[in-house]
Amino acid sequence: MNWYPIFLREMIQFKKKLFRLGYIFTSMMVPLLYLLAFGLGLGRSIQVPGGTYLGFLLPGLVAMSSMNNSYNWVASGLNLNRVYFKTFQVLIQAPIAPTSIMAGYVLAGMVRGLFASIMIILVGLAARAGFYLTPLFVFTLLLNCFLFANMGVLIGMITKTHEDTSTYANFFILPMVFFSGTFFPIDRMPSVLQAVVLCLPLTHTNILIRKTALDAQGITAVLVMLGYALLFFILGSRKIKNYSE
Amino acid sequence: MIELEHLTKEYGKIRAIDDLSFQIGANEIFGLLGPNGAGKSTTIKILTTLVKPSAGRAALDGFDVVRDPLEVKKRIGVVPQENNLDRELSAFDNLRIYGLLHHLPDLEQKIEEQLRSVGLWERRRDNIQTFSGGMQRRLLIARAALGGPRVLFLDEPTIGLDPQVRREIWNMIRRLRAQGGTVLLTTHYIEEAEALSDRVGILSRGKLIALDTPANLKKMVGEYVVEYLDGEGNQLTRMCASREDAECFLQEAGIEVRRRRSNLEDVFVKLTGQRIEK
Repeated sequence: MNWYPIFLREMIQFKKKLFRLGYIFTSMMVPLLYLLAFGLGLGRSIQVPGGTYLGFLLPGLVAMSSMNNSYNWVASGLNLNRVYFKTFQVLIQAPIAPTSIMAGYVLAGMVRGLFASIMIILVGLAARAGFYLTPLFVFTLLLNCFLFANMGVLIGMITKTHEDTSTYANFFILPMVFFSGTFFPIDRMPSVLQAVVLCLPLTHTNILIRKTALDAQGITAVLVMLGYALLFFILGSRKIKNYSE
Repeated sequence: MIELEHLTKEYGKIRAIDDLSFQIGANEIFGLLGPNGAGKSTTIKILTTLVKPSAGRAALDGFDVVRDPLEVKKRIGVVPQENNLDRELSAFDNLRIYGLLHHLPDLEQKIEEQLRSVGLWERRRDNIQTFSGGMQRRLLIARAALGGPRVLFLDEPTIGLDPQVRREIWNMIRRLRAQGGTVLLTTHYIEEAEALSDRVGILSRGKLIALDTPANLKKMVGEYVVEYLDGEGNQLTRMCASREDAECFLQEAGIEVRRRRSNLEDVFVKLTGQRIEK
């Protein structure tokens, strides 16, 4: 339970943000824009196998939102706490293991990602987009939040200035939004590009989140996601352990 | 309680601290005195596990700060120079999170005791962004003292505070020592080092240039200072070993002179040719 104080601290801050006017609206702005632009505009002309485009798009938007929010909350918060507010010093000087600091931040990032995802899911259910909350969907969502919160800690520990956080987001997060199968199936892409895209973690989230049952491709997706999460967890914990100002 | 052996820290080509070796005994108030950039904060950051040294070693209560950081962290409380309170949290929550991080038993009771002792209990639910600089510094000290640490580190604890708040904080530091703790504080205020410290280490450009009690340090350079103006209006000083020497100089000089007791600033000037308080 050494992670709990870190998690609690983040949750107190999150609760305060929730009560700020417009916060929920702002956090939903990006997925709603995508939903309107792609789902209702461009989407009319896109054919997807086995259902409506909206039914295809919404799980992708959930994956995207959970990634963005889990990553951003942790990467941005950690960077600010480390570089500007110096509150990270208090964690480093406390008698707890680096993995506990890591776990506290990751769990907080997951809550943030889940919160944003629930908003999209509610919109999807209200719009009768034709997707269902299966146990596999929920599992994928949790795993995705876990993965990108871990990545958030790693990037939050690496970045030297707050601007760096957006640079990393532009180089790693944004390409995944567009190429990992959020808006269109990846088999529409040239095979060379498909091979590259299959190396990106969000691609596997998008594969898994649209499955009704776990098959061989789904198991591969779970393993890839777990592999990335583990890698980020180990690298992030090591960064915390070797922290020196 | 604290041992430093040939401790060195380099940032690129800059040597922030250079071959520091000294010991601090249990229940001692030890002052590190020096101008900005002398290496005081770096020394504290190494001892409190925030910075890893480039060479040498440091230990606290027998535990090496690099090899046994968890054991060191269990024994310390830190008041940093830069305010690192959580700005979005209340005073109470700041202490609560800290107490949970340090696994403190009877936490609520301890928080109440500390907040009452620094006069912030009534403001416990307020966001600390509404606190003055002095109140935030008092809260930082309350947080560091929450678990009754064996060693308390204070980095420039009264910087930028008015004289009244400064004296309140001095009293808090004395109380902590009275409760059995060891205190290491850095300061570039002469008066502060003299008023609080049992022993003072003087740092200049990362090196320890003197270490003794304030009285002995002053005795070393002369307990009295005579200040006078030369023919061109420049202020000159002369260190005198005793009151009699100073009197003698006053009579011989035959010009307008001022006599005062020496302080640690005079020690620093004598040793380095520079001033601490600029």
